[in-house]
Amino acid sequence: MTGSTPDTRPRTAPGTARILTRALPALLLVLLALVGPLLAPHATDRPVTMPYGGADDGAALGGDLLGRDVLSRLLSGGTRLIATALAIAVVVTVAATAIGILAALRPRLGRWVERAADLAILLPAVLGILLIALAWPSGGRLAVGAAATVLGIPYAVRIVAAAAAPVAATGYLETAAAGGERLWYLVVREVLPNLRATLLALFGLRFVEGVYVVSVAAFLQLGPQPPEADWALMIRENAPGIMLNPWAVAAPCLAIGLLAISVNLAAEALAPARPTPETTL
Amino acid sequence: MAGPLIPAPAARGAGAPRAQSGPARILPGAGRAAWLVLRRLGMLTLLLAAVFAAIEVLPGDAANATSERGESAADMVARRAALGLDRPVAERFGTWMTGLPTGDLGTTAHGQPVTTVLAGPFPNTLLLGTLALALSIAGALALGSWAALRPGGRVDRTVAATATAAFALPEFVVSIALLLVFSLWTGWLPAVTLTGPDGAPASWDMLVLPLLALAVPQIGWNTRIVRGALADQAALPHVRAAVLDGLTRRRILSHHMLPGALPAIAVGTATSAGMLLGGAVVVETLFNYPGVGAVLAGAITDRDTPLVAGVVAVTGAAISTLLLLADLVRDRTLGGRP
Repeated sequence: MTGSTPDTRPRTAPGTARILTRALPALLLVLLALVGPLLAPHATDRPVTMPYGGADDGAALGGDLLGRDVLSRLLSGGTRLIATALAIAVVVTVAATAIGILAALRPRLGRWVERAADLAILLPAVLGILLIALAWPSGGRLAVGAAATVLGIPYAVRIVAAAAAPVAATGYLETAAAGGERLWYLVVREVLPNLRATLLALFGLRFVEGVYVVSVAAFLQLGPQPPEADWALMIRENAPGIMLNPWAVAAPCLAIGLLAISVNLAAEALAPARPTPETTL
Repeated sequence: MAGPLIPAPAARGAGAPRAQSGPARILPGAGRAAWLVLRRLGMLTLLLAAVFAAIEVLPGDAANATSERGESAADMVARRAALGLDRPVAERFGTWMTGLPTGDLGTTAHGQPVTTVLAGPFPNTLLLGTLALALSIAGALALGSWAALRPGGRVDRTVAATATAAFALPEFVVSIALLLVFSLWTGWLPAVTLTGPDGAPASWDMLVLPLLALAVPQIGWNTRIVRGALADQAALPHVRAAVLDGLTRRRILSHHMLPGALPAIAVGTATSAGMLLGGAVVVETLFNYPGVGAVLAGAITDRDTPLVAGVVAVTGAAISTLLLLADLVRDRTLGGRP
């Protein structure tokens, strides 16, 4: 608690270079996971070593419960996880943007959105996913993706609506509305361009949420089924052998952790800065 | 972990008009509180109806899912009738709802009363959840205040980044990391929960790892909320005035900033409870903890509507109560003075 000097750092949007450096780890990781299957040294479905074999028996990270190469499965296991999470993030962000801006322009819809979001708080996301994924047993990843999309939209809409509300109250928007511009024109040309930072950050956070939901579902064996290489599934499958080959569990765990953290930090970097200056204590 | 979002601002708007309603003018405090309770009850009912309907839409039903091998079609019809599945869903929902106030949660697909099935694991999950909630709030208040006293400083930025990172981690990733460090490499804590004769965990140290696995992401979530709410308070004129008056930082924090930040923190806590219950399903599976999470996973596989609805009712009621408390806190803080 030393005597503090006034904080003169401006709380404005961070520079492009800074955003890029903070988004770089996430981009690299996603890229690596997407091209990973091409780099795998072994087939992902055939044993190359003993079950839970150590790290030196012909496999860099040892073997899993069937002796399959952990490194190869690790390199292949992220592609679909990330693709599903990306799809969820895109759909939720687009839908939430459309509904959220409409809710800001049409307050009656806005009240319904608020009620739906209130209701969604009462149902823990994991419970909702369990319900939908089991309602549609053949759905696999699609069912989990659909569940995450449906459950994610109310919150996302609330963010967009909150960000769009001040824009909806501006004079230039009222001018455009009074000038007889159609609703879609107001949404796309007048409000949307002002929400870029919010929407980018929202997209990033929805991606993090997608990774969370898809991996938790996989961990509960709701989405992808056992022969498939999937990070969350690898953790679940290999957990009993954690004493014999810790890498079979630690490596996919590290991969999911790094992915979640790096994407989240990238999203934070994109978020609009807090507009109000704080009192320095 | 439904969404990295603070629902406070929008909810605040929804509460505004109710001060002008009729009963509120006659009995300001009680009328508003009753209206808040009614609203939360109505939302809980709506949620339960939605869950009932969702399970109804599922392909297959409880009679199918719990059937024995080699059961004839006639047996199935008889079982369906015995379970009451031949009645329309609205009627079954009505029967179930009227039983709720008497503490009757219905009968599971296996013929046991839901309350009996939940009686064993529920206290265990309640213990784990309550401890995790308490730990996450204590941690979040400490970290959030620590960061708020140094806005923009190194501590602030480190806490913000760490909280964000912790919140992004799925519970099972945290669990595995804790297992590797505290169980496998150091051997300090047991890796699985052994259940004693009374159905509770056999010793206290088996609670530590599940507790931490549940609390760490929630500490991250709540720290962000506390820090954000304190920042909003720090921008207000009365805090500036307190600073100019030369009060100590500790006093400004405890008497001028935290009271105003309370509504947002309360809503964050209620949201946290829902995420804790979701995370419990994963953490309990991983640590073999005897709680509601494991029961729930089995119940959904069995299409056991009353059991699932029972779990949702109990968790929903718990979350509703917390949200109601949050409503009342907000009411007290932002006007509503008689």
